[in-house]
Amino acid sequence: MEGRLANAWRLTANDKSFIRTALLSEIRIDGRKPYEYRKIVVKFGREDGSSEVQLGQTRVMGIVTAQLVQPYRDRPKEGILSIFTEVSPMADPSFEPGHPGELAVELGRIIDRGLRESKAVDTESLCVLAGKFVWAIRIDLHILDNGGNLVDAANIAALAALLTFRRPECSLGGEDGQEVIVHPPEIREPLPLIVHHLPIAITFGFFSNDSILVIDPTHNEEAVMGGRMTTTVNANGDICAIQKAGGEGVPQRVIMQCLQLATAKAAGITKQIKEAVEVYNTERALRKIKRHPTSTGVNVKERQDQSVGRNTSTSKSNDVGTWKLKVEINIPEVGERDRPDALLNCIKLHYYDSLNTLPSTIEAITMVGWMRWDRVLTVEITKLLDDYVSSTRSVVNMPNHMFYMCRDPITGHVARSRYG
Amino acid sequence: MEKKQSGSPPSLIDSTVVPGDVVLDLSSMTNQTIMLGGGLRQDCDAISVMKAGTLRFSKPNKYWVESSQKRYTPCVEDTVLGIVVDSKADNFLIDIKGPVLAFLPVLAFEGGTRRNIPKFEVGTLLYLRVVKANFGMNPELSCTDASGKAAEFGPLKDGYMFETSTGLSRKLLSSPTCPVLEALGKKLSFEIAVGLNGRVWVNAATPDTIVVVANAIMNSESLSGAQQIIMVEHLLKNIQ
Repeated sequence: MEGRLANAWRLTANDKSFIRTALLSEIRIDGRKPYEYRKIVVKFGREDGSSEVQLGQTRVMGIVTAQLVQPYRDRPKEGILSIFTEVSPMADPSFEPGHPGELAVELGRIIDRGLRESKAVDTESLCVLAGKFVWAIRIDLHILDNGGNLVDAANIAALAALLTFRRPECSLGGEDGQEVIVHPPEIREPLPLIVHHLPIAITFGFFSNDSILVIDPTHNEEAVMGGRMTTTVNANGDICAIQKAGGEGVPQRVIMQCLQLATAKAAGITKQIKEAVEVYNTERALRKIKRHPTSTGVNVKERQDQSVGRNTSTSKSNDVGTWKLKVEINIPEVGERDRPDALLNCIKLHYYDSLNTLPSTIEAITMVGWMRWDRVLTVEITKLLDDYVSSTRSVVNMPNHMFYMCRDPITGHVARSRYG
Repeated sequence: MEKKQSGSPPSLIDSTVVPGDVVLDLSSMTNQTIMLGGGLRQDCDAISVMKAGTLRFSKPNKYWVESSQKRYTPCVEDTVLGIVVDSKADNFLIDIKGPVLAFLPVLAFEGGTRRNIPKFEVGTLLYLRVVKANFGMNPELSCTDASGKAAEFGPLKDGYMFETSTGLSRKLLSSPTCPVLEALGKKLSFEIAVGLNGRVWVNAATPDTIVVVANAIMNSESLSGAQQIIMVEHLLKNIQ
């Protein structure tokens, strides 16, 4: 008993009265205004579908995993979304290990309701084989540190993890077309989930008798406040869920005020989550690029291959004796890769013939059209291109009319080349 | 190896030590009395370290290891801020952020007798002194100084108490005055009580002063002296 007492978190009488008196003059202990939200920091792990959200002192980690399971009998074409919360005594000494407390259950339920019953995640797209196999998406929320307002932080963590999660692509195969083939991520790019909208939970705290309303209460304020209400709204202003547990009664006028405040906050938070996810997606794509160790913005390579000359001389289109080819690859700066002509400008082939030694610079795109590339040379160039082209396919926004090529991983041949 | 290193104990003072380091060799320092503070223990002739931190020495003979923790380990003669958890016939039970609750005997007040036992509600904040901190026992506190005077000890009224690490509270108590307090004190008037157990109480005339002071102190933990002064100036500019 004593050990538990020593661990129980307690607030002094001084703090309780100070929080109240300060709120009367619209001051909160962390220097915020009553309707001000704490700073949100969204971070992502290296794995897809893991996020860590910091809301002031509160920290929550969200992890999304997927598994192929048999669907519920009444909904054979729908995937399954489930939420689990993990509340350990590490986050707050008042949490007991083992069985989930009232708070952990309520936390999971609020987020579950906001996400599932507002149909934020498209569950029908998770169906692989109706009645047999659907994806079961599991969201695990770990409370790392309780600095107050766990619901909002956990909700943001769940959304951020869902938005960055990717499930393996699968297709049907076998003799009867009933066999499910799950493609490993190296073969086929995993697919993101379809998230229709982001339901954002905003929690309000009510202080009895003074009719004070605060948004995003801290740990200390939670200990003092008389009641709380969590509204889950999205950026469009749709109300997805409202949770008002016991405690102090709240007049209708105040609830309407809360909903207005929540809608305004939700727009800002949605934007913030989306920005963070965007940054993560870009980073994720860039991570796949294999860079030459020496490449620093400009990468110049020279290839002089005499065998090219021999081979081209056998082809009828050229009466030129020897070819010298110089391949110059300028890998664009990170910020410039999104430009549509990025690929065009990055590869330049200077060629010299034996008669005319003046180098003429021709862009790769036109060269491939009329120049019969020698096999050896093609491989060489492809290799150079390969590091850039195949690895940046997802980054460079490549219009269809542009040439691109990538090597077949098995045969080593150029698999696709629009002009080739 | 360790014996040789410990041959020159002054070299380890003010340097980082880790558990297992032997900092003093008593066989080479006969006829001396030394006092061991927190984080040190005696194994025969060797004084070894029990926690990671900086080894400190104060004249004439006190050695201890200083580190920054969330949890407080009670140590004799520390001044702490405690919260009343329960009152029993003989003792108040006080939470001092330690591993166990501490006892405050009901008679440990200036002129304390059976007749004038003070009444403290649960949640009262007290400024106290640690009297006993023995292994395996609940620490014992007192509301008087060593000579039995009330001094500054006793309940703290109003104000706001917040928690810091033990390292920060030690920094706040150090002399010369910590830059953050120096900078705040030039512009604002406030009352402060710092417990070595990582609790700080601040009181001022208006709530916004308290909030500014409390946040400035909490933010100063990882900042250098110059940064602290800049941070305080920035905060004060915002409220004016």
